[in-house]
Amino acid sequence: MAELTLNDYKSKVENAWCPGCGNFGILNTLQKSLLALGLPPERVLLVSGIGQAPKIVHYVHANAFDGLHGREVSSAQAAKIVADDLTVIVHSGDGGAYGEGGNHFLHAMRRNVDLTHVVHDNHIYGLTKGQASPTTEQGQKVAVHPDGVAALPMNPLALAISQSCSFVAQSLSSNAGHLQEILCEAIRHPGFSFVNVLQPCVSWDPVHTYAHYQKHCYLLDASHDPTDQLGALAVALAHDGRIPLGVLYRNERPALRPIMESGIGDLRTCTDRPARLAAVFNRFR
Amino acid sequence: MEFNIRITGAAGQGMQTAADLLGRSLLRSGLHVYVHQDIESRIRGGINFSQLRCSDRPVHAPVERVDLLVSLSPESLRAHAPAVNAGGMIFATSAVEPADCPRCAPFVLSELARKAGNDKTVSTVAAAVAACALDLPAEILDTLVDERFGSSEKLLDVNRRAVQLTREAMLEAGLTGRLSLPGGSVSGTGASTDRLFVSGAASVALGALAGGCTFMAAYPMSPATGIMTTLSELTHDCGVWVEQAEDEIAAINMVAGASYAGARSMTASSGGGFALMTEGVSLLGMIECPAVIVIAQRPGPATGLPTRTAQGDLRLALNAGHGRFARVILAPRTVSEAYALTARAFDLAERYQIPVFVLTDQILQDCQTIIDRPDVPPVTRHVLTPEQAAALPFYERYAQTGDGISPMALPGQSRHVVCVDSDEHDPAGHLIEDAAGSAAMAAKRLRRIATVDAAAPLPECTSHDPALPLVVSWGTTAPVVVEALDALNAGSPRFNHLQVTQLWPLPDLRAIPAFAACSRLILVEHSVGDGLDGVLAQTQLRGVDAFIGKLDGRPFTVEELTARIGKEDHHG
Repeated sequence: MAELTLNDYKSKVENAWCPGCGNFGILNTLQKSLLALGLPPERVLLVSGIGQAPKIVHYVHANAFDGLHGREVSSAQAAKIVADDLTVIVHSGDGGAYGEGGNHFLHAMRRNVDLTHVVHDNHIYGLTKGQASPTTEQGQKVAVHPDGVAALPMNPLALAISQSCSFVAQSLSSNAGHLQEILCEAIRHPGFSFVNVLQPCVSWDPVHTYAHYQKHCYLLDASHDPTDQLGALAVALAHDGRIPLGVLYRNERPALRPIMESGIGDLRTCTDRPARLAAVFNRFR
Repeated sequence: MEFNIRITGAAGQGMQTAADLLGRSLLRSGLHVYVHQDIESRIRGGINFSQLRCSDRPVHAPVERVDLLVSLSPESLRAHAPAVNAGGMIFATSAVEPADCPRCAPFVLSELARKAGNDKTVSTVAAAVAACALDLPAEILDTLVDERFGSSEKLLDVNRRAVQLTREAMLEAGLTGRLSLPGGSVSGTGASTDRLFVSGAASVALGALAGGCTFMAAYPMSPATGIMTTLSELTHDCGVWVEQAEDEIAAINMVAGASYAGARSMTASSGGGFALMTEGVSLLGMIECPAVIVIAQRPGPATGLPTRTAQGDLRLALNAGHGRFARVILAPRTVSEAYALTARAFDLAERYQIPVFVLTDQILQDCQTIIDRPDVPPVTRHVLTPEQAAALPFYERYAQTGDGISPMALPGQSRHVVCVDSDEHDPAGHLIEDAAGSAAMAAKRLRRIATVDAAAPLPECTSHDPALPLVVSWGTTAPVVVEALDALNAGSPRFNHLQVTQLWPLPDLRAIPAFAACSRLILVEHSVGDGLDGVLAQTQLRGVDAFIGKLDGRPFTVEELTARIGKEDHHG
């Protein structure tokens, strides 16, 4: 087999993002990460829902399941349970992951299926033209909230750490080196890996700009212990205006499928059914 | 020849244990039984009952008559004693008034249980009373008690004693063999290995396995839950994954993901839970994804009557999901048909890459009956093998074809990638906006509808003279109608009978003379209306002349339908 190149991950689908969109950084880095990990396109399954960010699955040459808004994690978990030999990566926007799909996010962390959930968090609803998302700042004036958003923004990192999510990280779409490091680590991590990727929305959000992130982001250094859950929670809840980048928290909980393994086999085959059922029928006597 | 035994008491008193022991005793005695459950939506208390229709021939429908009442609580005795036939028998846990009641056993069930050493053995006492009255071979119940309680010496001991004390009491009272059925005293253990005692829910689960199901995601909801319970117990024996989803929306989207990845997949819920899945159904239609969806119906709207029965969700299944796409709706009539049709649903779903609905209801889910040991033919897959996929020069998931069905490859099985999209998409599965591409894909979905329509089977029709009134029924109502018509047609034939098991798509029913020429069309459906009557009016341009429905959530009985249908043959 010929050696993989970056071209193997390029798709011919025309890109529909706005010029300068933060999604481009994530797209380029995702392709480089897959190459760095040596994962051929046919062994990768990208799952997404609806919005601007989820279109990424069409812009990468790989298997793609572009499902319903907010339900991508549900479909992805099942696909991974069935096709355990695929590398499954979910891409959501902040609306799909934390709004429409909030309940699924909570339960995906509990279930711990071995997949990576990348949330493109731009703090705004882009495709529907600039309404508040679950992570829009309180007081920020956006569409439908002319007097400013009254609700508090969700803190997805603190939420995930509090639920013992097996891998919790944050990165920045414009920091390609850091993002690739985090994506590779998340994909390699066995279990549900959650990566919140901050990105500016150049069309609708004048607050979370490239400059804003340049000013407020800091890299977690060696003094941060990602196995210390309370320490990680303190970082996520700091409320000091600084934005941490890096792996905040990780644990070694076993992923779901290995726990259930005995007798299950490959769920894509059912040729042995007659023999297996014949034994089961005797219980109904 | 048949006898009806009603075991009643409060939730949690073990009526279902008693019914299970007795049902298996009848199975192993070479007899037949149909058990239906009447349960309240609570965990303890109230008044529930299991009614066992014991017969020397197969039975599939509930009746009202009670020949033997076994009551485990004073409240249930008061409620059900009036239902007992003249000449019937009552066994109770308290003295019955008047004390010299000729229909009442001269002993008290709870005292036998207490004497056996454990009050809870009253459910075994209840089963033993009925087994003695039916004069079933003693060794059959003994073996069943050993199998059921054998894991604990203490429990086995008290239950054995409960059976023994009950036998002695029955013999002393001269009640042994009071309801003896022909063949009932023959030890039929040899002949019973080719038959099973199963509930409707278990039969759906077993049929799913026979159909190749390897993945189920569902959220528990009465009366559907029994399916996932049964499958979960067979996880390791049969290689099936059961995921309890956080909600029904997750369940249907999991089914889509699992099916895309290559597992034959299903979900099950009741109307309210299924209503949450409707966007997911539309997703299945758009991405051309096989799935089996069981709707175990109960009365609505909203929470309705959680543990009662209905056939009110046909139009919900038919119209669920926005946009137009192919689907099939099946409705089994009996426990054995639940097995066969569920297995068939998986084949149809994958053959046409569509959602296939199986409409059951509470009465079917919760009933238990004896079925012949089913066939398990090898499963034929309708997906590309890895070798077939690899041999293709390129692959498009939505390649244009004459019948609208594109070859389905599985992701990760060849060098080709498999892309699906809930947006309108091009043949390769990537989102598009252009008019020509969108129209081509919509046209492909329409061709697939035509393909599925063309395969619609003609329903079964029992016809005497085609001009007679035609009774139409479907699902669990059909066997009740069959028995009602057996009685009504006993002299000269008065009614024909059309039994629909595939409710959608329907073929042109005018091909059936009894439909084309009937003087009067009578629909019997356990609903408040606008189910199959609406579908017939819309698709066959034939409204029904009489609708026999049901408002109270209780099952149709043979007696009720005999009376109600009997009034329907001489209207203008």
